[in-house]
Amino acid sequence: MADALSPGSADGQVPPGSLAGAGPAGDGAAGDGGDPAGGPQAVQSWEKTRANLGEVLDALPELRRKASAREAGTRTAVMTLVMVASSDVEVEDFAASVRSLGAHHPCRVVIVRPDPDSTPAIDAKACLWQAQPPEAVGHPVFFEEIHLRVGGQAASHLASIVSPFVLGDLPAVMWFPWDLPDSSDPLLRLASAILVDTRDVGPNPSALAHSYRTLLELVNHCPVVDLSWVRLQPWRELLAGLFEPEHNRAFLPEVRLATVTGKPGPRHVLGGWLLAQLDLRAREVVLSDAKHVDITLKAQLGDETGTFQVHRDDSTRAVWATAETSGGTHHRQALPLPDDSLTAALSAAISNLRADRVWERALASAASLAS
Amino acid sequence: MSTTATEELPQNVLAEGLDTVKRAPPGVLVVFGASGDLTHRKLLPALERLSRRRLLPAAFAIVGVARTEMDDDGFRSLMKSAVPDAGPGWGEIIKNSIYIAGEYTHPDTFSQLQERLKSIDETLGTGGNRTFYLATIPEMFGEVATELGKSGLNEPEHGGSARLVIEKPFGRDRATARELDTTLHQYFDENQIYRIDHYLGKETVQNVLALRFANAIFEPLWTRNYIDHVQVTVAETVGVEKRGSFYETAGALRDIVQNHVMQVLSLTLMEPPISTDADGVRGEKVKALRSVVVPKPGDIANVAVRAQYDSGWVEGNSVVGYRQEEGVNPQSQTETYVALKLSVDNWRWAGVPIYVRTGKRLPKRVTEVALQFKAVPHLAFPKEAALGLNPNALVMRIQPDEGVTLRFGAKVPGQTFMVRDVLMDFSYGAAFLEETPDAYERLLLDAMVGDPTLFIRSDEVDTAWGIVQPLLDVWGAGDAPLAGYASGSWGPRAAETLIERDGRKWRTP
Repeated sequence: MADALSPGSADGQVPPGSLAGAGPAGDGAAGDGGDPAGGPQAVQSWEKTRANLGEVLDALPELRRKASAREAGTRTAVMTLVMVASSDVEVEDFAASVRSLGAHHPCRVVIVRPDPDSTPAIDAKACLWQAQPPEAVGHPVFFEEIHLRVGGQAASHLASIVSPFVLGDLPAVMWFPWDLPDSSDPLLRLASAILVDTRDVGPNPSALAHSYRTLLELVNHCPVVDLSWVRLQPWRELLAGLFEPEHNRAFLPEVRLATVTGKPGPRHVLGGWLLAQLDLRAREVVLSDAKHVDITLKAQLGDETGTFQVHRDDSTRAVWATAETSGGTHHRQALPLPDDSLTAALSAAISNLRADRVWERALASAASLAS
Repeated sequence: MSTTATEELPQNVLAEGLDTVKRAPPGVLVVFGASGDLTHRKLLPALERLSRRRLLPAAFAIVGVARTEMDDDGFRSLMKSAVPDAGPGWGEIIKNSIYIAGEYTHPDTFSQLQERLKSIDETLGTGGNRTFYLATIPEMFGEVATELGKSGLNEPEHGGSARLVIEKPFGRDRATARELDTTLHQYFDENQIYRIDHYLGKETVQNVLALRFANAIFEPLWTRNYIDHVQVTVAETVGVEKRGSFYETAGALRDIVQNHVMQVLSLTLMEPPISTDADGVRGEKVKALRSVVVPKPGDIANVAVRAQYDSGWVEGNSVVGYRQEEGVNPQSQTETYVALKLSVDNWRWAGVPIYVRTGKRLPKRVTEVALQFKAVPHLAFPKEAALGLNPNALVMRIQPDEGVTLRFGAKVPGQTFMVRDVLMDFSYGAAFLEETPDAYERLLLDAMVGDPTLFIRSDEVDTAWGIVQPLLDVWGAGDAPLAGYASGSWGPRAAETLIERDGRKWRTP
């Protein structure tokens, strides 16, 4: 995918068909791009090196016009999703996930790859994708994907480049898969919401704490949605659900030990959540490294002890929630392993673009745990 | 530990921020008619999907009650077989679930039920929350409710809840519906009774509320000042299938018009509610239904058409006529098609006729409400330039391909000035490609949560019966003509006449 914007012919027009997996081959009409298993299919594409933005903007209605000549369809978009990629690998890794999202939340997708060290120019490509609604009922959905590789100084002025592509009247969601923007970045002024992912933040505790504090500055601009927090929601729901029965609820203020295992990002955020919500002391939250997330709470209520656990069991491919008290109550609940794909997390995140004060408190506490 | 009043419990601080999704509280769902087809085909799969979506609590059990002899393990096997590809959570719910075999009229059945519910409350912590779902034949609704009341199961325990869920038909006519209500109200308050019309569980029916009241541009036009007439179409391609003997006792008026059509109509006609809570919406719906003019017996021949399908071709298949269907009387007078012209006496709708048609074996499965706007007061173009132009229409498609279409005029490209109709089309499924919950899932969850908004209140049922009762009386007397229509057509000629004499015509959906 990253090589798709390699220099083309002398006039800067890349010969059709040179895109590597980004769009259809041949005359720019429907080809073999997309997921043969029912995912979005590329129907029209356009690309140019050293393009000006006007050319890209002109290309978009042209793609729709050509597509309409072949099959009736209208552009559908519920938002603009801007992904700011810091490397070609990121573009390669994430573009397909973003595209799959089109089958759930048709967006205008703008993928920007700033590359300040390369030649000052914008290489662009635009592709029109088609997704079929579920059960083949209704009309196909057409959505646009625009790739902009920005070289030279312009890479530091992305807001001016992205702005013309943001659809009016609809939310604009900025996704930063890896590098977090500075809170003064003008790009953030275009954002209705920001997507980040704290799952893969580094193992270094000081780096973790720094990332969390940076994120907490971003929430002053607009809602920030953490894909890792979204993925952890089933764990949080299951654990909270264990305290719905009255008998178990009484143990909640009496929790004196919370153990969270997992990778550094998830275990810190969950540990921070428990620290903040249960008003625990830092030494009552024990974090340890593991491949998967497990949470155990231990509580003492008078003579009774209670253990409340949410853990993943690969043998049953399920997440189990169990509550046991020495008084004899016992609850078990199981859920299929949640879909932890990037597309699923993105889809869930953009379904609920709002500030999450619980996450913010969890993050602040996670920063203190990591410090 | 003894249970304490809810207000003394500490807050579940871990649930903070997770309230954007509606989830059932700890509780027990008691299904009467647990060995029947509705339970196996609809309820159990819907419950499993709720569990898979993390909407059921850990402290949850199903108690099956039916006359069929079966033990707990038998019921658990039935639960398993109802959802062959169930997720792991279903297994835990199955383990918690039990079965009681017994007559619905026998006090022993209910004393057993009471004991076992108490035991579940103690072991599982279900907090005395009980939802009684009556998946029995409608004739048993009153009996079961009465026995529940006699055994005290209608009274919420330990600060819990006791709710009764029944599904249409609610009576055969206004008198029997009132009898049923009287019986139910003997032991259950109205706020404990959840009457299901699964049409209201459909996302797109609820979307009528969103379209009307979340948008400022439609509501000002939604009046007699701009709307010429309204057409409601509920068309099915299927015949009576294996339900011939049931359908003989129902007919299209009872089966569709009294409930589904009246629900869709009330959402279309209602005034803006002050809130979308249960009383806000249901109060306005009832007001709208009360504004519908009840046809006078002497007018029925002019405002209503009933008909029965003959043989014909539907979707490429040759099909038999209604009287040749299995379980149907060869001399049957039961209608499979109804067309009505209704009028509404209120400030908003006075003078706007509402045309309703519903039928089986029509050419296309479609449910829609079309608002036909008035023509422009003066057409500035030559008549020939606007031959392809019709008044604007806003169509709410409820199923299939749910969405909204607005018809308006646009210039045909070219040197000459020609105007013709174009459609601006919003397809619900194309903007939101998410999987939507099935109507039973939605309604079961709402009943367990205690949100009655999408359930029908007693006065709604009564008012809806009041509108159709004169038709039932006149048609039941056997004097009214029963037209025939070819399967695969849009209905009898008499239905065309009904609307054409007002200078209008039926839409082709």
